[in-house]
Amino acid sequence: MIGADSAPITPDPSSAAGVLRRLLRAPGDVAVACREDRDTHAIVAVSLVAILVGATVFGGTIGSFRGGRQIPYAAIKLPLAMLATLAISAPAFHALAAGLGRAWPMRAVVALALAAAGRSALVLLAISPVLWLIYDLGLGYHAASLAASLAYGVAGLAALGVVLRGLGEGAGQKLTALAFAGVFFAVGGQASWILRPYLVRPRTEHIPFVRGLEGGFLDSLGRSTRSAAGVYDDDGRIPADRPVDAPKLLDRDSQ
Amino acid sequence: MHAEVAPLADGLIGFGAPADPIAPAAPTPHAALPALPSATAALLAEAPDFVASREAVRFAKGLGLAATYGVALGARHGGRSFLLHAAFVPSAIVAVAAVGVPALYIALGLLDAPIDHARIASASARAAARTGLVLAGLAPAAALFVVTSAAPGSAALAASAGLFVAGLIGLRSLRAEVSAALEAAPARMRLLAALTTTGFSLFAVALAARIWTSALPLLGGVR
Repeated sequence: MIGADSAPITPDPSSAAGVLRRLLRAPGDVAVACREDRDTHAIVAVSLVAILVGATVFGGTIGSFRGGRQIPYAAIKLPLAMLATLAISAPAFHALAAGLGRAWPMRAVVALALAAAGRSALVLLAISPVLWLIYDLGLGYHAASLAASLAYGVAGLAALGVVLRGLGEGAGQKLTALAFAGVFFAVGGQASWILRPYLVRPRTEHIPFVRGLEGGFLDSLGRSTRSAAGVYDDDGRIPADRPVDAPKLLDRDSQ
Repeated sequence: MHAEVAPLADGLIGFGAPADPIAPAAPTPHAALPALPSATAALLAEAPDFVASREAVRFAKGLGLAATYGVALGARHGGRSFLLHAAFVPSAIVAVAAVGVPALYIALGLLDAPIDHARIASASARAAARTGLVLAGLAPAAALFVVTSAAPGSAALAASAGLFVAGLIGLRSLRAEVSAALEAAPARMRLLAALTTTGFSLFAVALAARIWTSALPLLGGVR
């Protein structure tokens, strides 16, 4: 029985539970701690665990749209893509921040990037059960893709909040955040492209762990932009020398 | 605010050896937030006095950092391409510093702008260091794109984007320092100086693009 005089349990702010609590409830505090090089070890450790758990569960959820082997495949690939993106983007974050007026130590920038990614992974973790349920209720492929994108968008906003607070007030805050987002989007897009597919149609018979390169993220972006403008790179017809039910064609429907 | 740097016995700034802060001669918009001691802060820090050797070392560090971006671009073809790109990426920075900066100094002198050669030289060295630092930071991302993009055009686009962004950040830094130096000047002079630095920036972008597109194999230059 909880008495009226019972105080809420507040963990030590520098403990794992304390950092987790701050990451969720006081992201500004975590961001300032990263900038000032306080509790960095705990923040980095908790954020890494959050990224691993959150991205694995979210990946498995996306894989559940197809089911079977795609669940472990996506559960492995999503945290890989996220961590690879962070590893490749961190030097760019450091250099861009310095170039735009915030010459901070690399460890501070890495801690801030991990904290932001950790918070977004926690959001993905929270969204996963809802996403799994609506997938299970029979959502269509395009709606499923849109739902996953929306989840990413919400998680991205949670990360952006940490980054903006971490950059602090002052000249170039928004430009630096925009530069961070640009680099993260581009690198994340390419890293994810290399490790695709994640969302696969249930009717797909053959599921590759990763597909061949077939262009790249920028090529795909360019092709999508052109097709949105009504300019198509091909006429949409299936080549005569390719059978209609070939597995490769079915794989093309997956992302 | 000003980044913390470590003055050495001979007056040079120690790279990565932070100590007592030095009061800035004239703070620029780039020194916006307090910085923890770091090698990066020392590389980009303003100093109260002009020491030619210190600025030369800073400029050389910028070129060295820019060369790492070249190495990343060379990863698409490998072999000799590593060396070619590593040599030609910093060459545009050298060209702008050697050809454009003296012209900027002369133009500002014709306007009778109160800015001396030492200020221009140190601002140029810091701009080169900033450009090199950003290029080095973008090098891993550039390597990812140039190695994994199937289409040569996509690899070239990614490489160009990094060069463009880093170049703009360097030019932004130089413009900000020139503006800060002219803060007390009459409004008309500041306007003319702003137009001059804008002209210089356009020239620098055109010159760098000319060098990179004609020299870097990835961008269609010599092979």
